[in-house]
Amino acid sequence: MNTIADITDTVQKTPADRPNDEGHLGLWLSLPAQLLVLFIAVFPILMQIYISLTDWSPLDGIGWWRAWELWNSFANYTDLAQDNRFWSALLRTLLVMVVCVPVEFLLGLGLAVLFVDEFPGRRFLYSVLLIPMMVVPAVAGYMFFMLFQSGGPINDILAFFVGQPVKIAWLSDPDLALIAVMVADIWQWTPLMFLILLAGLVGVPEDQQRAATLLGASWWRRFITIVLPRMKTIMIIALAIRVIENFKIFDTLFIMTGGGPGVATETISVYIYKVTQQELIWGYVAAIALAILITLSIVSAYAIRHVSSPEADT
Amino acid sequence: MQRSAGYEALRFGLILLFVALTLIPTLWMVSMAFKPIAEWSATGSDLTWWPKNPTWDNFAFIFGQSSSELIVSLDRTAGRPILASLLSASFGTVIAMVAGTTAAYGLSRFGSGANLPLALIQLRLFPPMAVMIPVMIMWAFLGLTDTWWGLALIYGIVTLPFAFWLMKTFFDDMPREIEDAALVEGCSRFRVFVKITLPMMRPALASSALFVFILNWSDYLIALLLTTRDWVTIPVYMASLSSSMTGQLYGAKAALGLIAAVPPVIMGIAIQKHLVRGLTFGALKE
Amino acid sequence: MSNNAHVSRRRFLTKAAQTTALVGLAAPFYLKPGRVFAADSLAEGMVGGPTGFAGAERYQYGPDTPEGRAIEAIRALKAAGKAPTRIVLGLSDGSIGQITQPFPAGAPSVKDLWEKETGITLDIVGVPNGQEFTKVMQDISTKGGAFDIYAVEWNRLGDLAETGGIANLDEYVAEHKPEWDDPERGYVGGAQGVSLLNNYRGSTYGVSLDGDFQTWNHRTDLFGDPEEQKAFEDKHGYALKPPKTWKEHDEIAAFFHRPDDGLIGCTDLRNQGWGYTNWYQRYVSTASPNQFLFSDDGQPLINSDSGVMATEEYVKSLAHHSPDAISWGWPEQYGNFANAGAAMTCAFSNLPKFLDNAANDGSKVTGKVGSHLPPGRMHDDKLVSRTVLWLNLSASVSSQSEHPEACYLLLQWLGSSRIYSWMTANPGGYFDPFQLSNFSDELVRQTYHDYHMDVVRESVRRTVPTINYPGATAFHNALDENLVGALTGSMSAQEAMANTERSWKRISRRVGEDKLVEAIQANKAAWPDLTD
Repeated sequence: MNTIADITDTVQKTPADRPNDEGHLGLWLSLPAQLLVLFIAVFPILMQIYISLTDWSPLDGIGWWRAWELWNSFANYTDLAQDNRFWSALLRTLLVMVVCVPVEFLLGLGLAVLFVDEFPGRRFLYSVLLIPMMVVPAVAGYMFFMLFQSGGPINDILAFFVGQPVKIAWLSDPDLALIAVMVADIWQWTPLMFLILLAGLVGVPEDQQRAATLLGASWWRRFITIVLPRMKTIMIIALAIRVIENFKIFDTLFIMTGGGPGVATETISVYIYKVTQQELIWGYVAAIALAILITLSIVSAYAIRHVSSPEADT
Repeated sequence: MQRSAGYEALRFGLILLFVALTLIPTLWMVSMAFKPIAEWSATGSDLTWWPKNPTWDNFAFIFGQSSSELIVSLDRTAGRPILASLLSASFGTVIAMVAGTTAAYGLSRFGSGANLPLALIQLRLFPPMAVMIPVMIMWAFLGLTDTWWGLALIYGIVTLPFAFWLMKTFFDDMPREIEDAALVEGCSRFRVFVKITLPMMRPALASSALFVFILNWSDYLIALLLTTRDWVTIPVYMASLSSSMTGQLYGAKAALGLIAAVPPVIMGIAIQKHLVRGLTFGALKE
Repeated sequence: MSNNAHVSRRRFLTKAAQTTALVGLAAPFYLKPGRVFAADSLAEGMVGGPTGFAGAERYQYGPDTPEGRAIEAIRALKAAGKAPTRIVLGLSDGSIGQITQPFPAGAPSVKDLWEKETGITLDIVGVPNGQEFTKVMQDISTKGGAFDIYAVEWNRLGDLAETGGIANLDEYVAEHKPEWDDPERGYVGGAQGVSLLNNYRGSTYGVSLDGDFQTWNHRTDLFGDPEEQKAFEDKHGYALKPPKTWKEHDEIAAFFHRPDDGLIGCTDLRNQGWGYTNWYQRYVSTASPNQFLFSDDGQPLINSDSGVMATEEYVKSLAHHSPDAISWGWPEQYGNFANAGAAMTCAFSNLPKFLDNAANDGSKVTGKVGSHLPPGRMHDDKLVSRTVLWLNLSASVSSQSEHPEACYLLLQWLGSSRIYSWMTANPGGYFDPFQLSNFSDELVRQTYHDYHMDVVRESVRRTVPTINYPGATAFHNALDENLVGALTGSMSAQEAMANTERSWKRISRRVGEDKLVEAIQANKAAWPDLTD
């Protein structure tokens, strides 16, 4: 099975022994992608480094290139270290991740197990279950805003089970609002886990399972000892994707709550959006961006090395 | 495999429960899209699950055909935002696919561009919000703000990682014998790529392109910051569907949401099989 | 007759949908039946203005008026080859209708008239509500140059002027004499009012195009119901009528609060970004004549007994609000009120024009809306009741515009009493009356209703300005966040005020205390000292 290990493999490969014209062609072929990457990396990074060392804000009335007039050395970075709102936004983002990703994973895995054997209507229901991830996230945001009103459908359903009217003001309560945005995320992205994990589950060779069955192993035991280890890579990939995308959570959440009430659902992306658009302290935003960039680079480099270590590969 | 009837009942019960949970929000949107204004109110004691008097008015309304029920008139209809979404998502897909396919081929066959896999993963890792300030400045400087081509360019860049990874696994899987045979015949390498390889990859190209298109079509944040008027996309436009006469135009929003959901749902179902590969950056093979 | 009105409305709607390529949701108008249409020509002595409807002469102008001078100056610019062929105006979505839709029947639209008289195309770019400042800052900071004229909340004038992104208009004001302080027709408060709305640190940077004096509305059907009156009097020992004090207000709101029957006591906003304006009203009335936000030397005054009391009341009032109050913006508020979902509310002065509107089939409160003065507090037998001026669209000329003078002239024409009265009477958008001539204009009174217009005029006399000094955005954000924190129970009223004070001090330092003190004093000069 192809893994992230291949990435590092290819990185080390050199085209040394290929004919020259092929090398040239290869360079030409990768040129557009290289240019696009440079285009989006060079200027933004240099500019962010520059203004992150200044107090520059568009409110100051001077162009960003003159930001050196407002030089403040590393004050933005020391401010960042003490910025409670930033740290609590970061913690909140991690909290959302720690709740959503495992729930999505377990639900997706459970669904995949239910779907692995053929049954009438399987293909159709499979397609139905994938619908949420195709709904445009912004649209999902408006939908869930309506669903979570205190007189809205979700309370109506709850009332049906409880047997009395339910008037929970989901989006006006700091804790419940966080739960509401997590429900929306789980609704939208469990199908993704399901899709990937089912593909992995189907890929587990049946002969080994059959052998184990003959030896009298229970379903549960077979699942734990044979199926799960076989799916390790695919599970890591599924989790990694959701961790990456969940860290950036913005669209649905922003439309549902705007990060509120107060800062109750303010995640990193929402926090940066607000500081960028409302407080307009752009030098500071640049410092936040670079801090995130550096942290993510370290984490991802570490993760890739760790994941691609031989014993993790199956 | 033999299992007890009890297990089968439980299994179907659970599947139906999941399907129901999946469908409730979706059906709510569908139902809302066909509700007349009197039934919109999500916060009334007269909450209705299914339109009592179903109507097409919401759809007519967002395309500028005012109806008897909706007493507000729209000066800017949904037509233009739909066009903006289509153009920017399509051309963004073209950019990502051209750059991604050529680079994937270069790496797969010649090992060139060895830095790309890691660079592209990092590109995908990074929250777009954090680079939007320099991007806004660059785009304004280049005259790309509020144009569909400016949006297409950034979409092309943002989805390049997926195009690249998908195509790379397809190229890696492709048997090289045919290419080699053509080379022996005396074709140039580039000719082989264009005349032999790409036509053979047509299904793979199509499914990758559809996948990238769905990603572009879903964007909200980037369009929110890079468009102002002429080329506002569907999700951004949706915010203006409210009025002082009636408050939020929920029905109109749902109708537009339904329209916006159609292309990805159809395409997504069409390329189900390949979706997994795209979403796993091609790491999972069939 | 009513059938006739209906047909006109439909025709108008279709036309509006077809014509403008741009933007926004607008309201239909209600044609009062039985009017005689005026001839399609200007009245004697007039050089320009709308024609084609009865009373059009009120909006026409002679050569020696601000409007007349503006048009004349534009023509001179054109003759000298210094006029643009097009002016791009960025404007919030919902306001555009007032410029692009003809009103009343037979009239041209404001845009048509301008284009006819000057030959300069008026290109209006819609900006979603709430994003005006964001889009403007984006244009200024990225040097986008997408607009000639920005229309933003009045509160931001100081911030924008400091960026250098908007032009100083002093030169043009001196030359073209807009007469904004005309005692008969001009701004409420004369030169003082002009300075409050259009000036920053003594120079003109904006032209007011709005009158967002927050006003109070109630449901006359509920307040006039004998059964309700009796039940209320039995319970509280005084007659049920629109409240004069905050205590009465809270009691009445609690009395009508019946969420299970779909009726909310009061729906003045409590959400992020808007709710704090309603806190203002409670806070500033805690002293006579006013409780200020800052002392004369720039020190915050909110972390005090007054601040804590106002905040506690503000939080307690959630009991008679919608359970979703903290997530409701004005679209939900207007939608709920139209649906007869509340007994009282506080909103922009345009609420009755949209919801008590015979053309609004969706409104269940047509003919059932009343207006009242803001609740207040007794101080030594005198009632201090205060409301706030907040948002209030003002137009400024972009420094990136190549034709600042022509842009200014457009604003002078648009923002002067004759054209503005005509425009504000149009129910198609958010521009609200604010000039003396607007309040007495027949057409305006018809759109906004007599009962409402008189209350608005009285509310204006009791209006305090919100923060408009540099750093306004940051000051308001800090207050806003802490108030929402108090509303959601994540901090106490004391903590909210203490946190706000701390943030305000930090912002003051960043803005520069000298600049601030000057701006605070200019702002304070416009506070009313009226008591009842």
